[in-house]
Amino acid sequence: MSKPGVKVRFYRIKNRLKEKTAGLGLDANAVIEFDDDLLSEAEEALNEMAEDYPDWVMSVIDELFEVHRRCVDDENNRKGYFERINSIAHDMKGQGGTFGYQLITDFAEGLYNFTSSGSGLTDNHVEIIKAHIDAMRVVIRDRIDGDGGEIGKELKKGLEQSVAKFSTHK
Amino acid sequence: MSGIDLSRISILVVEDSPFIRALLVNSVRILGVQSVRSVDDGAEAIEFIKLVEENPMKAGMMSVDIVISDWEMSPVNGLMLLRWIRRHKDSKDRFKPFIMLTGYSEPKRVHEAREMGVTEFMSKPFSVNALADKLKSVIFKPRQFVHTSSYFGPDRRRQEIPYSGEDRRKLSYNSPEVEIVNV
Repeated sequence: MSKPGVKVRFYRIKNRLKEKTAGLGLDANAVIEFDDDLLSEAEEALNEMAEDYPDWVMSVIDELFEVHRRCVDDENNRKGYFERINSIAHDMKGQGGTFGYQLITDFAEGLYNFTSSGSGLTDNHVEIIKAHIDAMRVVIRDRIDGDGGEIGKELKKGLEQSVAKFSTHK
Repeated sequence: MSGIDLSRISILVVEDSPFIRALLVNSVRILGVQSVRSVDDGAEAIEFIKLVEENPMKAGMMSVDIVISDWEMSPVNGLMLLRWIRRHKDSKDRFKPFIMLTGYSEPKRVHEAREMGVTEFMSKPFSVNALADKLKSVIFKPRQFVHTSSYFGPDRRRQEIPYSGEDRRKLSYNSPEVEIVNV
């Protein structure tokens, strides 16, 4: 039973994880480190995988194109397709910048916001989605990393113009 | 010096981005963890943790020793998952180590997760060295847990640092209002 009036309780937990990793017989003062070779091998593997990011994201962009095509062909089910695009854009916006492709994050964020709940489902909306996907495809095709400098500015401007054009067409 | 053998440690990776999830799972595997499971968001993580506790054979994992989780996920994000682990009545291991993976480093976010009892932070993009350091810290330098009326989680004071100002702490380990529980 706990004492009356206890305001702070400290829990000192038996270290079961340490037992799992090093066994019970480990000297309490032993220096435990990851093997350097293992760390280098893991870092190399991680970097190699990260280099695959453009290829991976291109496959996602292809998927976006496919869903966009269905938006065009199957007008009655647009709502579901928009939700799918929204979910893909959410994934993309979270990671482009992480792997050096800030423009992917920026364009995916625009696409995500544009397709968030409550957005319209007109043909113009579908065109604006396409403009975002086109811009992302150029970024990866031409490996435009970082903010893309002048090319990045042009791409952003082009996308803004497309959005403005289709937003005014009713 | 001794090598670290993680082959008996089980890790649950919670990350909604398939690409980053694959990077994480592969990285912990290369570091020697054999039992790794990954899920898409906090809701799936809660279901999986419950399944492991109720039926480890069916879950294919005997325990979830460490959770590595993203912050931004839908519908249940990393902070909500952390809250469930630390505070929910159905959570069987409220002391579970929790590494929060986040692209956010704003002080407000860090503060919020600390208040909720996060064990470690790891920022994206992560390196293998950062991942290895966080795992080492969780396994070899666990902190005692503190339970007060407003906080439950690992002791936020990681070390005793001499302080020249007035000591405003009202209680010590010897105070009658303080209880130490060994679990």
